[in-house]
Amino acid sequence: MRRFLDRLYAASGALAALCLASIAAVMLAQAFLREAGRLLRGADDIVAWLCAAAAFLALGHTFRKGELVRVGLLIERLSPRARHAAEIVALAIALVFAGFMVWAVLAFVYDSFRFNEVSQGLIRIPIWIPQASVAVGVTIFFVAVLDEFVVVLRRGKPAYQVAEDERRAAQDFTETV
Amino acid sequence: MSTLEIAALVFALLTVLLAGGVWIAISMGIAAWFALGLFTSSPPQVNLFQAFWGSSASWTIAALPLFVWMGEILYRTRLSEEMFEGLSPWLQWLPGRLMHVNIFGCGIFAAVSGSSSATCATIAKVALPELKRRGYDEKMCLGSLCGAGTLGLLIPPSIVMIVYAIAAEVSILKMFLAGVLPGLLLVALFSGAIAIWALLHPDRTPREVQRFSFRERLRRSRNLFPCLALIAFVMGSMFTGWATATEAASFGVLGALAIAGWSGGLTRESFWASLMGATRLSCMILFILGGAAFLSSAMAFTGIPKALAEWVASLGVSRFELIAVLALVYLLLGTALDGISMIVLTTSVVLPMVEAAGFDLVWFGIFIVILVEIAELTPPLGFNLFVLQTMSGRDSNYVALAALPFFLLMVVALVLLVAFPELATWLPELVIRKTAA
Repeated sequence: MRRFLDRLYAASGALAALCLASIAAVMLAQAFLREAGRLLRGADDIVAWLCAAAAFLALGHTFRKGELVRVGLLIERLSPRARHAAEIVALAIALVFAGFMVWAVLAFVYDSFRFNEVSQGLIRIPIWIPQASVAVGVTIFFVAVLDEFVVVLRRGKPAYQVAEDERRAAQDFTETV
Repeated sequence: MSTLEIAALVFALLTVLLAGGVWIAISMGIAAWFALGLFTSSPPQVNLFQAFWGSSASWTIAALPLFVWMGEILYRTRLSEEMFEGLSPWLQWLPGRLMHVNIFGCGIFAAVSGSSSATCATIAKVALPELKRRGYDEKMCLGSLCGAGTLGLLIPPSIVMIVYAIAAEVSILKMFLAGVLPGLLLVALFSGAIAIWALLHPDRTPREVQRFSFRERLRRSRNLFPCLALIAFVMGSMFTGWATATEAASFGVLGALAIAGWSGGLTRESFWASLMGATRLSCMILFILGGAAFLSSAMAFTGIPKALAEWVASLGVSRFELIAVLALVYLLLGTALDGISMIVLTTSVVLPMVEAAGFDLVWFGIFIVILVEIAELTPPLGFNLFVLQTMSGRDSNYVALAALPFFLLMVVALVLLVAFPELATWLPELVIRKTAA
């Protein structure tokens, strides 16, 4: 189970990274083709969809790496016991919201599918296809939050904290702007 | 319940969630869910999807991950060493000598990176030990790195500016242009302060001067030329209207990869590390932008921003009182929140007020960006303080005190920006008039 979940987060993160690299590739192709007097039809739509896919598919991975920002000012000053309780509460709240997100997104994308909604731009495909990346990403995010919640309930150290400690030790400051 | 009471309730909920360490995007999402579900008839789940999808499935926002990636690639190259070697022969004649490498190094790196902490860490990595070894004053060195690192936010490309441009619905290009002169002003203020300090304390700058012929200087800085060419090309293509910000960002990525490949710093590992780093940072920002869009839509449905703007207008405060109060609020927020959260959390309520008071939104964007920069230098959360604390091994009070003069210089820049709004508005207007003609 542990290995499967870790692979799931890593794979969805890697897929998101590929989407990001593809944004650069499509933009470059568009710019060079324009110089050559040709038009890359629908490039803007593809870039927009890739951008959404990159953002949502990476959610679970980013969450576990401790890179989703939060205000640490108060909880970092708590005693270990109080900190543990605060993490449980924060994760429980996050779990409720992630659950709401999954439901809201699945319901919306299912409606797009059911009513055969078609995208508005130059590329006319069923809109549920690009929207599915959000559904998949949000679902993986929910699983990641649930995973951490169970770990913390079992008195373990959450992965986001482990990752943050490792970054500090390695003097890596790229997680913020 | 009156709209202002609802506003107070939503605000209280948001504060409790944020203080309790709930992830910022989630806190905003819950506040929005609560406001929509209880006080409006609009279905929260539909708004949620549209906000998250609409804020990330956008061709304009795609400039953000690309600029992030460009910075991540260059952060992992030898640019840090090359910057020190290439800049030092040119800056020796200034009072304060190599201390100016901190300022100009950060200024140049800021033009390829949109991040303050990356700029600060990149230049500090080599400049800090080198200057210490040569006997330069450590406090001045830490302070100048801390202050100049924040130029990453003001000199384009800037991630914070893109976030503001999206939130305020102004053009990314205009924001970038507006940041150029205030950025140069800060460089001048920082460098000027170092020169004056060096003249007042002649004993604190080491005497050792290496003389270089012009040819030797050029040879030492040859590794910087590709980087300068990349800056000129990315900025030039954007500012002449030849490329959009998103296209310019993709040229930036290509150029950064070329520089990394040429200097031998591009391995399979560093390529993958830069891409994954960029993916996580972009994901974090886009998730916050989604939460903020959700909260903004909830705000619009409840009518809170309009009610607040009217309430502020009814108080009869002058324009400058409003700006002064906002500056204080942002300084305070900056002690607890990171820059991006600070901007997206406040824009939906603050911008209507600011616009009603007759301020230009691009100008206000620069005003907020400078306040975000200042926040990087204020304890307990100033991230540049933290970066330098870790890199120098000094404690937080030492670094914060070292940064204090530079904090004050940035307040001076802020006052100058209020007194002379043209600092931010002149260049965008000039360029846009030129390209339109």
